[in-house]
Amino acid sequence: MVNARVNNRIRRLRFDHDEMTQEELASRAGCTRQTIIALEQGKYVPSIELAFKIARAFGVTLEDVFQYEE
Amino acid sequence: MAPLQKRALYSLAIGVIWAIAIIVVFIAKGGVTAYTEEQGMRAILAALLIGGLLAYFIMMRLTLRKPGQVDERDRLIMGRAPVVQLWAVFISLAVWSITLTEIYWDQGQIPVIFPYLVFMSLFIVNVLAQSIGILIGYWRISRYG
Repeated sequence: MVNARVNNRIRRLRFDHDEMTQEELASRAGCTRQTIIALEQGKYVPSIELAFKIARAFGVTLEDVFQYEE
Repeated sequence: MAPLQKRALYSLAIGVIWAIAIIVVFIAKGGVTAYTEEQGMRAILAALLIGGLLAYFIMMRLTLRKPGQVDERDRLIMGRAPVVQLWAVFISLAVWSITLTEIYWDQGQIPVIFPYLVFMSLFIVNVLAQSIGILIGYWRISRYG
């Protein structure tokens, strides 16, 4: 069985965007702050729709935020 | 704590109080015998059951309808809660069936009022199990992802 993992750079990107708060990112992406926390902790893998919304909130591409590792 | 998680916790607390209230009224008013004979007691218990259910569904509905309160992760957790509900109802039904069969084995028949009580109790269990299922979902997702 292939052990795959989706990593993300959300925390880093928030820092790079004038220390955007989790609340602000959640509001821009249309999710709750708790989901942002879970994403940053690597405990939740978002749907493709939410992943795009998060990437757009930072103004970057999907792969700048999420990386798929096998 | 996510808004849905908070709501599930409150609903569980209120639901437990509501279930205890129904059981206390049932016992204080005379139990199965009175429930069989008195129309008034049946009406009181039915009112408690329906009132509690309405309050629960209104509370949940208000949480789900508020914008920004529930997202895809919450919906995923909510979608898994029926597994807990199914098991809770299944186990309760098994307990009722075995208990009633064993108690009334010699008589060869179960009093006709019991299906009412089984139905009411399963409804209560189902409602409480939804909150428990949601809380277990949040616990699992925060622990295992």
